[in-house]
Parts: sequence; C-alpha cells; structure tokens
Amino acid sequence: MDRRDFIKTCGTVAVASMLDASIFSNLLASQQDGMLKTYKKALLVKEDGSPIKEGDIKPHNNYIFFYPFASTPCYLLNLDQEIKPVEIKLKDGLGYLWPGGVGSKKSIVAYSAICAHQWSYPTKDYSFINYYPPDKPSETTKKAGIIQCCAHLGVYDPKEGAKVLDGPPEVPLASIVLQEENGQFYAVGVLGKDQFDQFFDNYKADLRQQYGSTAKAKELVEKCIVMEVDKYVKSVIRC
Amino acid sequence: MVVVGGGYGGVTVAKYLKKENPNLDVVLIEERPFFMSCPMSNHFLAGLMELTPLCFSYNVLEVKHGIRVLNDKVLGVELDKKVVRTSSGYISYDYLVLSPGIDYDVEDYPFYRDSLVYNPPAFRPGSEHIYLKKLIEDFEGGDIVITVPSPPYRCPPAPYERAALLASMIKRNKIKAHIYFIDANERPLINSEGFLSAYHDLYKDVATYITSAHVRDIDVHKKLVKTSHGDFKYDLANIIPPMRANKLLQDAGLLKKGQKWVEVNPFTFETSVKNVFVIGDASQSYLPKSGYAAHSEGKLVAKIINARLKGKEVKEEYMQMICYAMVSDKEAIMTETAFRYDAVSKRFIPTHREDNQRKEGTAKRYEEWARGLWRDLFG
Repeated sequence: MDRRDFIKTCGTVAVASMLDASIFSNLLASQQDGMLKTYKKALLVKEDGSPIKEGDIKPHNNYIFFYPFASTPCYLLNLDQEIKPVEIKLKDGLGYLWPGGVGSKKSIVAYSAICAHQWSYPTKDYSFINYYPPDKPSETTKKAGIIQCCAHLGVYDPKEGAKVLDGPPEVPLASIVLQEENGQFYAVGVLGKDQFDQFFDNYKADLRQQYGSTAKAKELVEKCIVMEVDKYVKSVIRC
Repeated sequence: MVVVGGGYGGVTVAKYLKKENPNLDVVLIEERPFFMSCPMSNHFLAGLMELTPLCFSYNVLEVKHGIRVLNDKVLGVELDKKVVRTSSGYISYDYLVLSPGIDYDVEDYPFYRDSLVYNPPAFRPGSEHIYLKKLIEDFEGGDIVITVPSPPYRCPPAPYERAALLASMIKRNKIKAHIYFIDANERPLINSEGFLSAYHDLYKDVATYITSAHVRDIDVHKKLVKTSHGDFKYDLANIIPPMRANKLLQDAGLLKKGQKWVEVNPFTFETSVKNVFVIGDASQSYLPKSGYAAHSEGKLVAKIINARLKGKEVKEEYMQMICYAMVSDKEAIMTETAFRYDAVSKRFIPTHREDNQRKEGTAKRYEEWARGLWRDLFG
C-alpha cells in the first residue's frame, strides 16, 4: 500500500466509523468502485466563523458552501424529513450506497452544486442550478423538492442521493459525505461521480479571475463557510 | 471510426467515441479550419455578441482527446468499399458516422442561387455570417426583407429570432427602416405565442409580419423579392432558402430519388447500410434540425457503436429538446420538448412545454445553455 492509498483508507475508516456498520461496509465497497473519495475533514461554519448547528440549517433553505476545494460549490439542505440510505446504480454498471441524511432527524444532506450534465454551477453572478422547495415548484417542470438546472433542465432528487429524475444528465450529482460530531457538522468526502476534473478544465479563466490562480482554486479547505444561496449569488435563475 | 463533418453532431460523436473507448482510432474529417456555432449566431448578427466566443479550434480535440482531425474536403463516400475519398486520399473505415449538415436546395428552387451570394442566408456557419454581419453594419436605412421557408429547415426558431433581433437593433440604433418578414408558414413554427406577442408589443412600428407567403423569384440586381403575396423591394435582405441534406449523401447513394433527408432508424440513426450512421440536420428523424439535437444524437450514436464493439445493445433512449430564442436584446422565450414513441402508429409524439413569457432570466439561461454545449464539445 502506498502512502496515498494508506491515507485514503484511513480517511475512509474515519468517515465510516461515524456511520452505521452496514453503511460502513457498503461505503468501503463503494470505494472499491472508486466512488468514495475522502478529503480533509472540514468543519461547516456560519458566516461569523462559529460552527453551524442543526437549528441554523432551516428546512428547505438552499445553502451553499465550498468543498473539498476552495472553488467547488456544494448545496446543503435540510429536507425536514428522515432521508434514508439509497442504493445508487449508474448506467455504466457501477454503483454505491448513498448513506442518507445526517442530524437528529437524519434530514440534512449535501451535494456538489456542479451540474453533472454540462457543469453549470452557482457563481457570484448567477446560479442556474438550484433547489426548489416543496412549496415553490419549478414553473417549467412543475416539480418540487428537487434540484434543477435551468440550462438544460436536468432534474435531481435530493431525497434519493440526487438521482436523475429528468433531463439529460447521465449520472447523479456527487454527494458530499457529512458527519455530525457533538452537534457540529463536518464534510469529510465526496461520494459518486464528481465532476471536478471537468470543472477545473472548463473554468480555468473564470477561476483564475476569482481566486488569483488555479492552484488557489484547487486548495483543499479545512473550514466551509455556509451561507444562503440568495446571499452568495446576485441573480438566482429559477425556471 | 470515421466521422464526416465537424459540427455539433460530428464533434460530439467523435469525442464520446474516444471518451468511452480511448483505444479507438477516431478520425474526424472537416473542411473548415475552425468550428463556428450557429446557435447564438443571431446574437452576433444583431451586435449582442462578438464572433470569438462562437469559435473553437478543432486542435483541442486532437490534443486533449486524441482524435485525428483531418482538415480536408470529402469528395465522396464509397459505401461498398467502406472508404471515404478526400482530396488527399482514401480513408477506410469500420464504422462511419456522417454528419455533414445541410445544403441550400437550389436544385429544386434555382431562383435562390444568385441570392446566396448577394444575400447570404447565414444558416451554414462561417463566412456567410461574417458577410451578412457586414451588410447589416453597412445598412443605413430603408426596407429589410427576411424570408422563411417551409419546414423542415435548420433550427426552426432561428428566423423568428433573427427578425426580432434585427427589429430590436433598428430601434436601438434609431435607424429609419422597416422589416418585411415574409413567412411561408401560417405562424412561427415554435413558441408562436411568444414571438407573436413580441412582434406586436415591441416591433409593430418597425416590422410587418406576412404569413403564408411563398417566395417565387428573387431579382438580386433590382433588389426585389417576388412572393405569393406581392413584390417587395429591399435595401437589405436575408433570404433563407429551402434546405436539404448535404449533397455528399446523395452522391453516396443514401438518398433515394426525390428524398431530401436521409432515412435512418429513429432509435439508432443507422442508415440502411450497416454501421453507417447519419446524424444531425441531414437525417430525417423525429427531432427538429438543430445543434442541440445533433449533439444528443452524437452522444447516442457513440454509445451505440461502443456497445456494439463490446457485443452489447443499447437500451432505447428518447431524446429531449430544448430551444431558446431571443425576442429582444435582453429577453428570451423557450421550449422544452419531450418525445414518446407510440407503438401503434409507429410515430414519436412530441409534448411541448413552451415558456412564451419573455424574460431576462430566460436569456441568461439561453447563454448558459450554449456555453454548456460548448464546454461539452470542446472542454
């Protein structure tokens, strides 16, 4: 085992030790498919720097944070109901067990906010990919309780590991593995087919402009500031 | 693998063939030195966008994805010998994907021939757009004629969008001009309500929309278009002729006498010749002729070929279409179309979800829609 694999395995064990034993074994299995990648354990904090608590994550609000890299956006959602583990099967035959929600109600989930179709993501100017709460369905697809990208109408189900419900995406959104520890929340890894390579490849110029260099955009984070999408993005485009 | 044509369909199929199976030898043959997007090109014509964002180098496909890009003219396809004849020699293939796009149908409508030079239709990417843009920039006032043919033609909303954007440009630049928008159809073919309300609300003082009017003749020297609804003089014209599949396909024997588009298996886009596929605007399918459709077809055909190489079959997939159109400098409308197959009638039934309320947000989505496609093609 080389150093990288060793660290990866340790990371996996660290994640898994916080989870149910059956989920642990399944997560390990999913790692064999290359579906689980562990990164630095990062504390989710509020804008004032204090750790975010369950009560701060209001049901059906769309929150954004950046993980595992300084520039890769994720959505944090409290779906206000127990979100159970789901087995995700991909079209290429691979699959993984998505572990469901965390928190006292197991209602809190997080996903990469980079669309798995053609990599639209929330910028400070626009977000085309957004969460539609149950009381505010999409005008176009009429669906609610979903994450939808308005560019090509990819629709994902956050209750089911961001499975594709409709539209052209071939794979679910990658999910962010969350861990709760003494009432604090940590992001510890990414599960599923992440789109980070394509993201960094396609947005080189944009990322250089925003972060100063590609290297800075790719820095691993140790803390994730969580804020409401409406605060981060000037124009939230819903459809 | 040989792919003929480097538009939305050809680039997509080449890239996805290689992406899913890096060991394949994929050759893309394209005559033009660089890719130019027709989607969003009305933005360029109306002065809302530079040409540069619409253009991409094929070199990226070679460097990043290992596709051999041959900048060459295809002179013929010999299906019996499984070779493509180019100006620099023969290339043999096991699988052939033809995505050569359209030709203007000047064989059946010869009176359009001269007009192609004087009044570039700008429905094929490249120099036509650049020349039409120059004519628009040089236009100082007078009458503008825009004509729309009967379907099928490339990108159904494009002429309607172009008319709206030119009307908008006239108003923005305070040019004394009037547009005669002459449509062979009874109404806009898509987003009819959205286009008609924009024409009425925004442009009724600068444009007249004439429906069910067919072009009969064009006198480029007198600058006159003769139609079933009378003659129209013009100072600037954008005469969009009827279209047909690229002549290469006729020469290859893939078009029967009288056919204008190549018949393909609607589920696989395979022609009557095994392992020869026609995608994009040249094929006759349930999808409209558009860059987005060609892109979707390219992905599907790459999947089918890669599956066949592994001795597998691909599950049937019905594609979805999304079309956007600007109706003013800042606002757009859109349509999403889903298809289902009716086994009894053996037809694909479309379900349109139109958003005809013009919005700035939809215009932003339009831009992101195009940028997403470009990322997928050349990222």
